Amino acid sequence: MKALLFRRKPARYAAAVVAASVVPGSGARVGPLALEDVDPPELPGPDWVPIKPRLAGICGSDLSTIDGHSSRYFEPIVSFPFVPGHEVVADRAGPDDGAPDGSHRVVLEPVLGCVARGIDPPCGACARGDLGSCERISFGDIEPGLQTGFCCDTGGGWSTAMIAHRSQLHEVPAALSDEAAVMVEPTACAVHAALAAGVESGQTVVVLGSGTLGLLTLAALRRYTDPGTLAAVAKHPEQRRLARELGADVVLEPGEERRVVRRLTNSLAIGDGPITRLTGGADVVVDCVGTEAALADALALARPRGRILLVGMPGRVSVDLTGLWQRELQLVGAYAYGTETLADGTRRRTFDLAFELVEAADLGRLVSATYPLARYRAAIAHAAAAGSRGAVKIAFDLRNERERTR
Amino acid sequence: MPRPGFVLEVDRSTPPILFHHGEGFRLEKLPAGRSRVLYPAEPLPALRDPEGAIRHALANPMGDSEPLSALLFPGMKLTIAFDDISLPLPPMRRPDIRQRVIEQVLDLAAAAGVDDVMLIAALALHRRMTEAELRHAVGDRVYEAFAPHGLLVNHDAEDPDNLAFLGTTDQGEEVEINKRAAESDLIVYVNINLVSMDGGWKSTATGLASYRSLRHHHNVRTMRHSRSFMDRHSSELHHANWRMGKVLRDAGVKVFQIETTMNNDVFGAEGPMSVLQKREWEWSAKDRATFLAMKTGLDRLPMRARRRIFQSWLAPHQMTSVQAGEVEAVHELTTANVYAQHLVPVEGQTDILTMGLPYICPYNVNSIMNPILVMCLGLGYFFNLYKGRPPVREGGVLILSHPTTWEFHPVHHPSYIDFFEQVLSETTDPEVIERDFERSFAEDEWYRHLYRTSYAYHGVHPFYMWYWGSHALAHLGRVIIVGGDVRAVRRLGFQPASTLQDALEMASDVVGRDATITHVHNPPILMADVS
Amino acid sequence: MARASRPTKLTRKLPVNGVPLQALASMAKPSAAALVRRAPFPLRPASIPQGVEPLPPVKRTGADYDTAWARRYPARAARVLLVEGIVRPAMDVLAAPEVRGLDRLGDLEGPVIFAANHHSHVDTPLLLSVVPEPWQHHIVIGAAADYFFGTRVTATLSALVIGAIPIERTRVSRSSADEAAELIDDGWSFLIFPEGGRSPDGWGQPFRGGAAYLSARCSVPVVPIHVAGTDRILPKGKSVPKPTKTTVTFGAPLRPTDGEDSRRFAVRLEAAVAALADESRDDWYTARKRAHAGTTPPLQGPELGAWRRAWAVDDRSPKRRRQRRRWPDLG
Repeated sequence: MKALLFRRKPARYAAAVVAASVVPGSGARVGPLALEDVDPPELPGPDWVPIKPRLAGICGSDLSTIDGHSSRYFEPIVSFPFVPGHEVVADRAGPDDGAPDGSHRVVLEPVLGCVARGIDPPCGACARGDLGSCERISFGDIEPGLQTGFCCDTGGGWSTAMIAHRSQLHEVPAALSDEAAVMVEPTACAVHAALAAGVESGQTVVVLGSGTLGLLTLAALRRYTDPGTLAAVAKHPEQRRLARELGADVVLEPGEERRVVRRLTNSLAIGDGPITRLTGGADVVVDCVGTEAALADALALARPRGRILLVGMPGRVSVDLTGLWQRELQLVGAYAYGTETLADGTRRRTFDLAFELVEAADLGRLVSATYPLARYRAAIAHAAAAGSRGAVKIAFDLRNERERTR
Repeated sequence: MPRPGFVLEVDRSTPPILFHHGEGFRLEKLPAGRSRVLYPAEPLPALRDPEGAIRHALANPMGDSEPLSALLFPGMKLTIAFDDISLPLPPMRRPDIRQRVIEQVLDLAAAAGVDDVMLIAALALHRRMTEAELRHAVGDRVYEAFAPHGLLVNHDAEDPDNLAFLGTTDQGEEVEINKRAAESDLIVYVNINLVSMDGGWKSTATGLASYRSLRHHHNVRTMRHSRSFMDRHSSELHHANWRMGKVLRDAGVKVFQIETTMNNDVFGAEGPMSVLQKREWEWSAKDRATFLAMKTGLDRLPMRARRRIFQSWLAPHQMTSVQAGEVEAVHELTTANVYAQHLVPVEGQTDILTMGLPYICPYNVNSIMNPILVMCLGLGYFFNLYKGRPPVREGGVLILSHPTTWEFHPVHHPSYIDFFEQVLSETTDPEVIERDFERSFAEDEWYRHLYRTSYAYHGVHPFYMWYWGSHALAHLGRVIIVGGDVRAVRRLGFQPASTLQDALEMASDVVGRDATITHVHNPPILMADVS
Repeated sequence: MARASRPTKLTRKLPVNGVPLQALASMAKPSAAALVRRAPFPLRPASIPQGVEPLPPVKRTGADYDTAWARRYPARAARVLLVEGIVRPAMDVLAAPEVRGLDRLGDLEGPVIFAANHHSHVDTPLLLSVVPEPWQHHIVIGAAADYFFGTRVTATLSALVIGAIPIERTRVSRSSADEAAELIDDGWSFLIFPEGGRSPDGWGQPFRGGAAYLSARCSVPVVPIHVAGTDRILPKGKSVPKPTKTTVTFGAPLRPTDGEDSRRFAVRLEAAVAALADESRDDWYTARKRAHAGTTPPLQGPELGAWRRAWAVDDRSPKRRRQRRRWPDLG
């Protein structure tokens, strides 16, 4: 089968770091990612089934892996060589795997929790359904890997064949297109983040960044919370248009955040001239960028005792936390998904909520372009420059891949 | 004898015409046969003995007023109000007219043994003046005699403890002015009447007023009914101020008005800038060389340096008349004196009006001309410099030339930035802006704080800039800015063009191929008297 | 014995006593005076015979010193260099002058007479360095004939360095007044200290009529100037200057009114300088009020004993200025 394989090659990894520091996304050219012919992964247990990816999205975390920006934090919870790709819509490929309604399409929930790892009894988090918080992430039947797409045993979505545990698969309703279905996994992240933000009714929420995750978080905040004002920072015109469509009340450009938040919240600013520090600020700031600058902005924009939610993957950053201390801010992370408690107290699987949102907000339109595996360099370059090229989500289209070897 | 202003018909032999272009210039060839250029009059002669003229005016007041010396008595409360940094433009060389007048007023007050004197910069909602600017306006002697004791202050339109409500006009307009001024036995108001809009009751009723009072005439309705606000008798803005003046008078506020006019000698007869004041066909070899050197040099300098060069220019313009006494009588003569310098008779309206906007307007002295001010200068001030009818027909096109950079002075214009980013991105319709946004800006605590303690224009001031242009916005079919920052021009709701030729092509979509063109060669200031 | 003999030897070797030294000098090089004395008549002036009335000596110094050369081009150029290159930098260090009221000269054209109070020798170079264009390098100074033009050396230096012309302090002499009037008519401006000399104790002295007379005669305005602080730099009787801050205040130009004689004009001039003094000590408006009320503190001190006069001087020294808060840089 054909697969984009990410091997442990320190020299190439170093080259990717250097290249990507000049042109984002160029890690695909010189880095350890390569298109190879490999054997399909073996099934590690009875509940594992083969699947054939149809579409597989390129996520921001994939890009930072390819460009060598990922934190070394991931080293012990990743196993090499792996096939990236965890936003996957696939066909069941097993002999007797047809769903009752005849559909074969599934969406992968990539987190490899206790159930997938064959650990019984499961850890407390998994028992509660909070898969993203699994405490056995590098134990059990399969090699370490926090998700499918970072584990050497499971294969990944950027290939023509992979395996999945039955518990990871969600049936795709027939009415949902492949494009919409591939958005379910990132949407689940956004739904989880929106519900983790703890937005109370009428509060002011600022979302930094209007990439895929930022736009989806906006949509999720609009659907599952009740903010008074929802402001989105968007750099590119297409992002601004989408942000407005997906529910932002105020769309602003980078550089305007402090001024806009000051006006929205009737805050004062310290000193005259360019605004550096607000006395008040937004109730909740959602950082969907994950850079040092974005975190510094978030710290400046949140009101005293406000909440900052990190949805974008931050990595190693250097920020001044004096404000966090003095203003008693909450700095909260939001990773993956599992089970959510809604405002009315009911508990639902995040993926179920994500399916609803994708359908309701027509999120399939966010898939801007698809590429065959062979053009993976162009695909990754496109994804790395998605905003400026007027795109949101880039995905690999595997529906027409020819199998050369079997 | 200075030559009067005139209208030049452009033919094939007409040289390229000078367009001011912010901190730079353009030379533009206008189409022959259908273009004309309005040239301002040459500077009127200055008063030979300004000190003597002031003395004479104070001793021989106009209208129903006693000489100033007779109005002063020991133990009285005297307030001297004076025009702020927005006048004159550009700032004049020392000694400033205000200094000359105020020193003589104070000398009379000293002779009368007046102890309780306060000087107030009548800045309405403008930014406060800095120490250097106050020193320049009133002179070091006056500054040092009063400022250290807190007796030379900037008017504060947001100080609840220092505003006095004096009543409402017959049309329900509230009149609220500076309390110290209202409670004085005499207000002496020292004006510099650069253009015919300045002075009269507008001095006290606007310069010393609060937001509560100003909003009654600084709004879209008033501005759309002021045709133009440079012509008092056709200006709703002035009617409102005159109504307020009546309330002031009835409330016992006594104003001794001193108005001064100046000639339009803004670039001087000598020096590198003098070429800007000459007619193109009269440029000598030296003038041409100076102009080329200046233009080439400026084009190569960074914006900051250019701005510094232009903002440091002190104009040699001088006083041409001074009159004092009762407000309305004084203002009639003042207006006639202003018209003597500015009015240029023009026959008929044109299809396309072109203007080169200079580097300065009333609100960016020692500051940055931001896009909102470009709009205000072009569509507010220059467009309204007419008497009778606008020089451009209804539905015609206005072409401005200005770099229109997306730049704001963060200290002086904080609310402008928010207005530009957050209001104009939503709408450019003055009525919608007034309805949906004015209140939140006017009552914003932070803007109020900066206006009162820093050097910021009031939060509502950018709205007034937009209202100032609302008459023009309603009148014009299209506005095109030549050589402006594309994004900023679009944000203003106008169309960007890279050259005048392009702009004229774009204009032909609206007014046709053979449209007539009129270029206003301003500054030096001129006012079109359109018949 | 040994003790006594040693000093004797020393005196012999060293020309300790005057006598051997003089002898030595006369032997080595005969003095010029001695040579002249020895020369015969045509080479030296004849002695005046007995019984003959000698002619009065032709004075080349004092009020008769001819300063025309100092107003020709080379001397003027040298003076510009001196003022710009030495006097002004020196004054900036020594006196750090704060100059006020220059704007009052804005409407003036042509020659003027500057009349200042006088505390110290520093006044002249200080004023030369702060008088504005177009007068700065076209100015002559009325200097006391007896003091500045006493010897040929001081006279030459005075004429060259400060452009002085000799004025007799005791009377308005025809010749010096004529010369001054001629100069004014030629377009030269004047700097005069009407007090006639430096203040001995910090208080002023009555203004004399010279400046007023010249003003009326040539119909040029008089600009009153008040100089404060120079008395602390170099008071009368001191020779080592002490750097101090000074204030120079220019007043509005005055012209004699119709029928005003120079004595009364001088009194008015003195009052104007007194008002300027008041203005520089207090503020302008307070000074104007006092001036109109006739309560301006006079320049001349109270008629008191010397110590009480000295005591009272301190009351008049300028008030300490309040330190200004720093102004924000507004770009």
